[in-house]
Amino acid sequence: MSAVAVDQRRPRAGFFAVAWAFVKHHVLTVYSILFFGYLLLPIGVVILFSFNHPTGKFNYTWQGFTWDNWHYWNGVPGIQSAIVLSLEIALLASVVATALGTLIALALVRYGFRGRASTNILIFLPLSTPEIVLGASLLTLFLNLSFVTFGFQTILIAHIMFCISFAVVTVKARLVGFDRHLEEAAMDLFANEWATFRKVTLPLIAPAILAALLLCFAISIDDFVVTYFNSGSSVTFPLFVWGAARIGAPPQVNVIGTAIFVIALTAMLVNVLIQMRRAKAAA
Amino acid sequence: MTNQLTRRQLLERGAAGGAVLTLPGLLAACGGTSKAGAGSTTSHQLAKTLNFSNWTLYMDTNNKTHTNPSLVAFKKQTGVGVSYVEDINDNASFFGKIQGPLSRGQSIHRDIIVLTDNDRYLGLMLKKGWAEKLDKSAIPNMKNLVAVQRHPNFDPNRDYTLPWQSGMTGIAYNDTLTDPVLSLSDLLENPKLKGKITVLNSMGDAMTIVMLANGDDPAKVTDKSWNDAFNRIKKAVDNKQIRQFTGNDYAPPLAKGDLAAAMSWSGDIAQIGNKHIHWNVPKDGGALWTDNMLIPKGGNVYTASVYMNYVYDPKVQGLMEAGDPKRNITGIYYIPPVMGAKAWALKYNPSVANNPLIFPNAETLAKVHIFDNAALNNQKYLTQWQNLISG
Amino acid sequence: MNLFHRHRGLTPYLLLAPGTLFLMAFFVVPLGFLAYQSLESGNFDVGFAFTWAWGNYWTALHDYRAQFVRSLEYAGIATLLALVFSYPVAYWIAFRGGRWKNLLLLFIVAPFFVTYLIRTLAWETILADHGFVVNTLQSLHVLGSGGRLLATSTAVVAGITYNFLPFMALPLYVSLEQIDGRMIEAAEDLYASKWDAFWRVTFPLSLPGVVAGTLLTFIPAAGDFINAQLLGSTQNHMIGNVIQSKFLEQTEYPSAAAMSFILMAAILVFVFLYARLVGTEQLTGTAV
Repeated sequence: MSAVAVDQRRPRAGFFAVAWAFVKHHVLTVYSILFFGYLLLPIGVVILFSFNHPTGKFNYTWQGFTWDNWHYWNGVPGIQSAIVLSLEIALLASVVATALGTLIALALVRYGFRGRASTNILIFLPLSTPEIVLGASLLTLFLNLSFVTFGFQTILIAHIMFCISFAVVTVKARLVGFDRHLEEAAMDLFANEWATFRKVTLPLIAPAILAALLLCFAISIDDFVVTYFNSGSSVTFPLFVWGAARIGAPPQVNVIGTAIFVIALTAMLVNVLIQMRRAKAAA
Repeated sequence: MTNQLTRRQLLERGAAGGAVLTLPGLLAACGGTSKAGAGSTTSHQLAKTLNFSNWTLYMDTNNKTHTNPSLVAFKKQTGVGVSYVEDINDNASFFGKIQGPLSRGQSIHRDIIVLTDNDRYLGLMLKKGWAEKLDKSAIPNMKNLVAVQRHPNFDPNRDYTLPWQSGMTGIAYNDTLTDPVLSLSDLLENPKLKGKITVLNSMGDAMTIVMLANGDDPAKVTDKSWNDAFNRIKKAVDNKQIRQFTGNDYAPPLAKGDLAAAMSWSGDIAQIGNKHIHWNVPKDGGALWTDNMLIPKGGNVYTASVYMNYVYDPKVQGLMEAGDPKRNITGIYYIPPVMGAKAWALKYNPSVANNPLIFPNAETLAKVHIFDNAALNNQKYLTQWQNLISG
Repeated sequence: MNLFHRHRGLTPYLLLAPGTLFLMAFFVVPLGFLAYQSLESGNFDVGFAFTWAWGNYWTALHDYRAQFVRSLEYAGIATLLALVFSYPVAYWIAFRGGRWKNLLLLFIVAPFFVTYLIRTLAWETILADHGFVVNTLQSLHVLGSGGRLLATSTAVVAGITYNFLPFMALPLYVSLEQIDGRMIEAAEDLYASKWDAFWRVTFPLSLPGVVAGTLLTFIPAAGDFINAQLLGSTQNHMIGNVIQSKFLEQTEYPSAAAMSFILMAAILVFVFLYARLVGTEQLTGTAV
């Protein structure tokens, strides 16, 4: 009798157990999909509203589809010079910061020297200082240096300053895992230090340098707070957005935001797809 | 031997790094000459571009082409293109942005900026010597300045400033979200509006209206009248009636429907273009103020003066002010300081020309008041006000 | 394997020189100027003078303690929320991602490619008083009939959390990804339930990522003012708003400088206590 009861019980329990296991197994997936949705929702709104056709000055309610904003992306006075300035600064700052940062990373990883610990702290500090303090302190410095002009110079200096630490960390991560034996081998084959550096080291850390460049570029082009304090009357793109937001941001702001997004996403997507291909080929 | 090579090669590398370091220095050497020379005073040479910073919703606009007709016409007439930037949201933040370079004696790359007389910054600019003298020989139309504006106490001979527009501060409300909000007590104390209203962050505007509602005279501020008005606003802050203190940035949330009512400036509402938003002078009275053009140090005096002269032509001012519905032009809809503008406005847009808010009659003018200039510079009041609006 | 050149020579110093000099000149020196300014007194109209005005610190702390506390509060809550929200996803990508890991990571990082301000402005549109989200919440009676999301602390914290999610998710992913799956298998072989295995093996091994993510989120969040400005009301102002206003609108430099240092000090104290709590190797090992 008990055997029959057990038989009858098991299938029912089995169904729920299976269902529960199914849910448990997939809850993480479902959650993750919801999470991505949440993450990309504002982006979707930005892209959507770049096609909006507002009747008044304000781009808050959907009023119709148009390509006009994309066509006349520079129709709003000041937006073109703002994005051009942002691009210029980002380019210069990322190159300089990566160069300086790579040198520091090389020194930190390969050499033992007095002051190594303090250098580490010096690199760590800007990363752990709130941007508002960075911006305010630079403003104070510039206000006290009479030969400094607020504008391109001050923005560039500020951007290089906070990008250096990022560059150091990025390149250092790669250098730390670097196999020195390759360099030793090159030198055994009668290459001098400089040739070794150029032909062995540099190509191998090139991905890290590239990553540092891209990271610094992205950080610089997006920076608002530090720039806000030190820009004088120059306007970078984030500053333009801030000003425009107070009076009603025109759709062109969304257009440029979307453009930056698409370009960056495409670049990263290509990178990822190449990596996946490579991994598949290696496997 | 390898060591020596190493050191030399690395010296070279280090030097390359050092050269990079001096790039900012190079830039400093190249770019740092925007000091005294840039503001040529009376060379009667027109610049190619006039850099004009202004408040938003403050220029005639063609809604279809998104251009400013008066600026386009100016370029046609004189060949000077106007780089028009609407980057002034409130006097305090704009001043904060420009005082850095100005205090270093550097140009802010603007030829004309516009500041309000019911805030301390206009007077401060003049006191600090950061304004250039107007080239009056280039502004014969100055004779068209309305009489009441000829001798303000901050610039008795109009050597440095000229009014851009005058305006009134009152209350705007959205009729789809609330019943008419016509008085300050309604704005600050009607529980139905809790969290749906904003007050201006400008001391001169807000305190004038509250003092009038308290029955006090804003032109003669006493400690008692100050405290009464201040406490009234503070109460509204503490019980979350006031959503935010704003500059011109009340316009987007008002248009969006996040606000039911806002303490706001008279001309903005027309340019917001929403039929459901109405503006009124509060029952107990509103504030009157004048925005003034001035040339910051380093600006091109002659070109700026020529522009000012252009704007003081009654025909130009009439069109700028009233707009022209036939050509899709929205006007400024504030109070023009130019005599004779009304006659021209009547030709272009009679309904606007006859609007007492834009071309106010004596009755309307009686309801608006100016704020006590001395109170604007009272450190105690300023600190109290600042602490209030920073939460 | 690293080979250190134990050089007494100039090589490392020459490599370091350009970058560190730049940082000294434009990071350390400005902080010095800021410190000097924080001890000045006077006002903008008549000028400032150095008077060892320690009172500035006391006044700043006293007058604006509400904003200080609020900043730490909002930043703390946002960090916690970010941790709780991103951990499962980081886990999912690390352990179930397979070949698609990098692609999924891209989705996490993608929002970053839109300017910070534009992202936050999008929330202003999404959370509008008469927008879809608020209407839905009102009909579900989560919000009262006149309720709103914008201009509340909820919106501000939500904004901060959203904007710093990638900062939390990425370090979590990195440390989770490095965990050897066999350790978890071993735990399960030893009769640990899945839950136990997680708490006693996976989570502790992911601590470096948690530490890094927490720091990378909390520190910038504490000094943020953009979310409070765009999504909050006057009662939600953080210390960043006050500092910004004092520097750029009131031109009350000494007071603003003092506040900046107090903020920095608060953050350093937090980092120090946190490091004590989780062990310093975790801190320096992952952060730098």
